[in-house]
Amino acid sequence: MNLERLPNEEKLSLCRKYYLGGFAFLPFLWLVNVVWFFKEAFVKPVYSEQLQIKTYVKRSALGLLLWVTVLTTWITIFQHYRAEWGEVGDYLSFTIPLGIP
Amino acid sequence: MDLLSNKWIVNLLVCCLFIGVGCNSVEKKIYVHLNYTVPCVRLLNATHQIGCQSHLSGNVGVLHVLESEENVDWVLRSGPNPPYLVILESPLFTRSIMMKLKNGSSRVAGVAVVAPSANPLEGVSPHTTCPNENTGVYTENYDPSLAHCNVTVWNPLGSGLSYEQFDFPIFSLKDDNDTQVIRQCYMDHNRAVNGSTPQYPLCAMQLYSHMSAVTDTATCMRRNDINFSISPEMVCDPLGDYNVWASTRPINNTAKGHKMWESVVIAAARLDSRSFFFEVAPGAESGVSGFVTLLAAAHALRNATQEAPPNRTILYTFFQGETFDYIGSSRMVYDMQNNNFAVDLDNVHSVLEIGQVGLRADSRLWLHSDPVSRKNDSVNAEVRKLIESLQTAAKGLNVSVNEPGFSQPLPPSSFQRFLRARPIPGVVIEDHQSAFTNRFYESMYDNAEYLNISYPPNLTPEEQLVFVTDTAKVATVVARALYIQAGGAESQLEGINADPQIVTRMLYGFLIRSNNSWFQQRIPPDFMSHLSKPTNFYVGVAQQRSELTHLVQYLLANLTGSTNNVASSLQMYSYVWVQGAAPPNSTKREGFCVRSTVRLSKALSPAFDLRDYTSKNYSTWTESRWKSIKGRIFLVASHDLEVVDRVRAARFAKEILITIISVNPDLFKVLFGFSPFLYCVIFLFVHIIGLQSEKAQSPPQRDLPSPTENTVHKLLQTALL
Repeated sequence: MNLERLPNEEKLSLCRKYYLGGFAFLPFLWLVNVVWFFKEAFVKPVYSEQLQIKTYVKRSALGLLLWVTVLTTWITIFQHYRAEWGEVGDYLSFTIPLGIP
Repeated sequence: MDLLSNKWIVNLLVCCLFIGVGCNSVEKKIYVHLNYTVPCVRLLNATHQIGCQSHLSGNVGVLHVLESEENVDWVLRSGPNPPYLVILESPLFTRSIMMKLKNGSSRVAGVAVVAPSANPLEGVSPHTTCPNENTGVYTENYDPSLAHCNVTVWNPLGSGLSYEQFDFPIFSLKDDNDTQVIRQCYMDHNRAVNGSTPQYPLCAMQLYSHMSAVTDTATCMRRNDINFSISPEMVCDPLGDYNVWASTRPINNTAKGHKMWESVVIAAARLDSRSFFFEVAPGAESGVSGFVTLLAAAHALRNATQEAPPNRTILYTFFQGETFDYIGSSRMVYDMQNNNFAVDLDNVHSVLEIGQVGLRADSRLWLHSDPVSRKNDSVNAEVRKLIESLQTAAKGLNVSVNEPGFSQPLPPSSFQRFLRARPIPGVVIEDHQSAFTNRFYESMYDNAEYLNISYPPNLTPEEQLVFVTDTAKVATVVARALYIQAGGAESQLEGINADPQIVTRMLYGFLIRSNNSWFQQRIPPDFMSHLSKPTNFYVGVAQQRSELTHLVQYLLANLTGSTNNVASSLQMYSYVWVQGAAPPNSTKREGFCVRSTVRLSKALSPAFDLRDYTSKNYSTWTESRWKSIKGRIFLVASHDLEVVDRVRAARFAKEILITIISVNPDLFKVLFGFSPFLYCVIFLFVHIIGLQSEKAQSPPQRDLPSPTENTVHKLLQTALL
């Protein structure tokens, strides 16, 4: 979809939909929001809805950063300690590698 | 359009054919596959994993034939092309060398041991010095001064190698032409001459023996049971098989538990054995000598127990899995305690076990008994009676039976599991007074050659079968002693004699060649195909029936049973149809039905029924599963050359694509949808570049065709224009 052709109100409503959708445990919507609307929010010359779009993009970026931190921490801990957790590690795993602890 | 699409299809097929044919012949030209590969596999128990492991994609190492123990330094420190795959001649396969290799395992890719054709002169045993020390009867609770072989170290030559964990694969090679090819490859390419480092390309070997299970039995059984993973994979299996048992008087097998008025003398022997490598377990002295003696004794007692039956019933039991913490005997005792067996522990009067009796120097036999239970007077009296029976039985046979003469615990034997349950009087017959006389206990050298079973040269297999190699005196002693112990009259003893012919044939069949006419006459017709495999006495996993167990079952049925044509009472007897011999004039065998009291009872450790995989009381041994076990040798190029070739190949592919695009810019879009022929050509081109780099890995004395870059460029120009 080409944002050039949309009127500003529709841009704002699209940004808001993506922002609100990300709260349903969908951080990729926030990623899309940030990447897609970055130009609109910070590079384009000022227009009336830009301020709101800017806040949505900033908040999406914040939420995204939070998710990335949480997931990275959990993935690091799990990959490192899965073998030591024994039974719990095996029940949390989807596929268990053969031949290595 | 039809003609055009046909043309594309034909072009595509021709391309694929070319590539397909090219691929296969290249592989055959590079690799020489090993035919005979015997790996060491991973076994797990409640606390440890033992054995060997390789990477999923095989371990590749530059070949090095180890010359001496000092040469290990080349492998571990000074050799310039790690990792090395060490070829060991069997005298060098010792604990010290293997431990050094284990510690330097980042530079060791694997070990291949060349098995000799003759036994070594000095004794070698990869088993531990104190076999089954944690699951016998001598624990701290029973008697701390006797635990952990404090009094007698049973297997002093034991190096414990079989119970070590290695991170690289260890294979066994036969000393034949294939191994000579390997040694020649090493001599030609890998040897450092006069201090200079060997130059690439070098001879290398790749060994695959990736084991799926890891850590210990509890972990691997848990991973077997996980239900919700997308691809449930079994990673290990418990060891086990079946025990074979028979009785002189028929016992009702469907009514389990205690039998009133039944007093049973158990005559026990062990069936199985092991070695460092998988499914190599000749077990001549450690297993075969014992159970062949008991089979012969059972045959000797057949007539006497029918005509003048003694008071007590004799129960012949052959336990499977005793090497791995007494799997068979612990299961039988457990079944007896839980009313799951035809008799109860209260029915057991005494136990006579036959241990290792093959190496009788000066025809002396030693009777071992348990000093702790003998502190009880009634037990001691019974043991004394049993020893006297044995001495009476040995009179006039030129065999001397004695007690060791000092207070000594029992050697590792199935009787220990019965003692763990309750103090039963019993004796274990062995040919050693204290430590084992068997210098090759549980090793691949414990074979017919060690028992001095030799035949004059130029005998056909049939003549070898009937050549008497043993006098069956031990079997006669055992048979007579069992008869007296069961309450029989001494007047009948003269008639009880074991047949040397039968002992000889069984030794021949179990140690040299099981596919002989005597065995063939005593098995059912559908078992014939199983006889052609070489006998190995490794217990194996519980799902897989061991041929040995069935062979013992059929032999025992033939030796103790009688011919009967009507299968009537299945509770008391078991019936087996054997194929018999062919009469002289025809080729069709005349089968007959044998009625006997021989039965199989499950020999799976109770730990797996109780799901107690960390049990300290029962055996918890499991064997890992694996995907493929193979090995191959090839010449390997230096790592730098591989990298350079790959970079060249990638650069070529890029150049071609750029050439195509520069000729016609739209061709890029067209390329990925509508011109399979061009795509094919590019793929072929890159593949040929790959062949050029593989040329550095070619085997000796072969040439690979390698088109030059110019000709392919020309090909491409003509295709485009």
